Amino acid sequence: MKYLALGAGIALAASAATTALAANETIAVFTKNLTNPYFQAVRVGAEAAAKTLGVKVDQYVPTKPDSIPEQLSQVEDVIVKKPDAIVFIPVDYKALVPAVEKINAAGIPVTNITDRSASGDFVAFVGANDYAIALATGRALLKAMGGKGNVIILEGVKGSLTAADRSRGFADAIKEFPDVKLLASQPANFQRLPALQVMENLMQSFPTIDGVLAANDPMAIGAIEALDGANRKALVVGINGSKEAVELIKSGKLVASGDFNGFIQGCLGVEIAVRNLHKQATPKEVILKPVVIDKTNYTPYETPVEQRTCPTLAEVASQ
Amino acid sequence: MTRAMTDAEIAVRPRLGFSSNVTQALFRLLAAALLCALLASLSDVFMTQSNILNVLRQTALLFLMASGLTLVILTAGLDLSVGANIGLSACLAASVIKATGSPSLGVATGIGCGTMVGLANGALVTALRIPSFIATYGMMWMLTGVTYFYMGGETIHGFPPAFRQLGSGYLLGIPMPVYVMVLFLAIGTFFAQRTVWGQQVYAIGANPVAARLSGVPVPSRLLLVYTLSGAMAGLASLIILARINSAQGDIGEDLTLPAIAAVLVGGTSLFGGSGTVAGTLIGAFILTLVLNGMNLLQINASWQPLVTGVIVLVAVSINARTRRTDE
Repeated sequence: MKYLALGAGIALAASAATTALAANETIAVFTKNLTNPYFQAVRVGAEAAAKTLGVKVDQYVPTKPDSIPEQLSQVEDVIVKKPDAIVFIPVDYKALVPAVEKINAAGIPVTNITDRSASGDFVAFVGANDYAIALATGRALLKAMGGKGNVIILEGVKGSLTAADRSRGFADAIKEFPDVKLLASQPANFQRLPALQVMENLMQSFPTIDGVLAANDPMAIGAIEALDGANRKALVVGINGSKEAVELIKSGKLVASGDFNGFIQGCLGVEIAVRNLHKQATPKEVILKPVVIDKTNYTPYETPVEQRTCPTLAEVASQ
Repeated sequence: MTRAMTDAEIAVRPRLGFSSNVTQALFRLLAAALLCALLASLSDVFMTQSNILNVLRQTALLFLMASGLTLVILTAGLDLSVGANIGLSACLAASVIKATGSPSLGVATGIGCGTMVGLANGALVTALRIPSFIATYGMMWMLTGVTYFYMGGETIHGFPPAFRQLGSGYLLGIPMPVYVMVLFLAIGTFFAQRTVWGQQVYAIGANPVAARLSGVPVPSRLLLVYTLSGAMAGLASLIILARINSAQGDIGEDLTLPAIAAVLVGGTSLFGGSGTVAGTLIGAFILTLVLNGMNLLQINASWQPLVTGVIVLVAVSINARTRRTDE
């Protein structure tokens, strides 16, 4: 229903828009799954930008989360449909290179967002730096701990680039604080239930855990549940700036969450794609500055993504 | 002539199966004890009361998912929709609790949804005669799709304390899920070993044709086991919800295969007719010990799937060998 309503809204906006813009340009937007709120934010951002710019967005999402073969075949289908432009998040930065090559061969301009493709010709890349976000979020936790104490890291899925970069960022933050001791670093697959159970097990080994660095919000929240269940206290940070994380920051249960900002990436991906179509200047690369959401700055994040407005390229560049 | 023989076989089979099941269970208890002894020698904290309760609480969840599934596998069937069923049941229960504030309505929704899905599986297998592997595989995709569409990438979180008790509460110092586990171990064991219906479930798995010829109402017993598997998935979804205090579309992902592993490690044969619910509990316990041990010893837990795979293969091959010598 939400999509239908959005679709209707876009149709209205498009018909109301002046004919100065080419009528009904279509942008195909590829995201990784329907389950992670991050990609939902990307899609909402893309729709918001499309509405402002008077273009139409078609969303392509694998029904099986992060399925490589499914995204490959979706790309093949889309090439046949010939949209005016593509905004692309590869479900795997290496495995989807052949798909990118097919898009390039078909001459459809493609903008890469979120996960940088290993190769291919792109109008631009828009993303955030996992390493920098983890470093900044890690520092926020260690400062909140007064620069000393025992910490653990909950890693994402082993072998994923995102997980590796975030673990590295956390580890480097810890190196900056000589009085902080890393007790353990264990994978919990970016998911809540594994994080809860791994945390329960680690609490058995370590009578004192002062801080938890979780590579995404669901794992941070799983860790908080485990701590609460055992009546123990530790400061916890996560990454993604999800709605739930913002609520927990407000209530004081979560210290901070690094913002990966899917909404803005969705906005800028579409804006760059459209500017390129209209032969306007576009940057080759936009790397969003790492933002750590904590109790001092969470208020703007309480607005649901559906009600936020897209910043323009110029606004982001001036940040 | 053959008719008489198969009748005799039916009469004997369950009891024969039961005695061999006891040997099987003892084997597995021994294996679990050895694993405990190994972990105790390697880690100071393993044998603490708090860690044992911790392991039991984690075992409880895996056992509940696998308990109904055990009955399905005893009939030589399979339920691949357990995880997806948990996902949908959890998400529906979560939104009912959020909307009404009533834990009991949430519990009714979770178990109700799980049961209906199980009933649908049973109908596909019996009325439409679709092989269970395919029926529940199709069901898995349908449920996953419905769940994703329903949740739209959103998360539901924050449930009332009364509901959370179910997953994170304690009674007399013992975690609540452990009581639920013991209760369903008792019910499941009584049903399978001490009731006519339970014995008929074994008979169907051992030889469906013979079971039918000797008067076992095969379709209605099959309908029953798939419904029970669904109901247990619904119950497990509530424990998960109460433990992690939130629901999102992918909550049931990655749960089906560990549940099947617990059943297999517990000594139930995929060919049907042999195994026990108690064995599944031991299987769930062994698999939970693996992760617990790796976390305690700070072995990178990425190795866990590999170790689980080895344990499943070893358990199944021991199972095959001992059964051959029994017969």
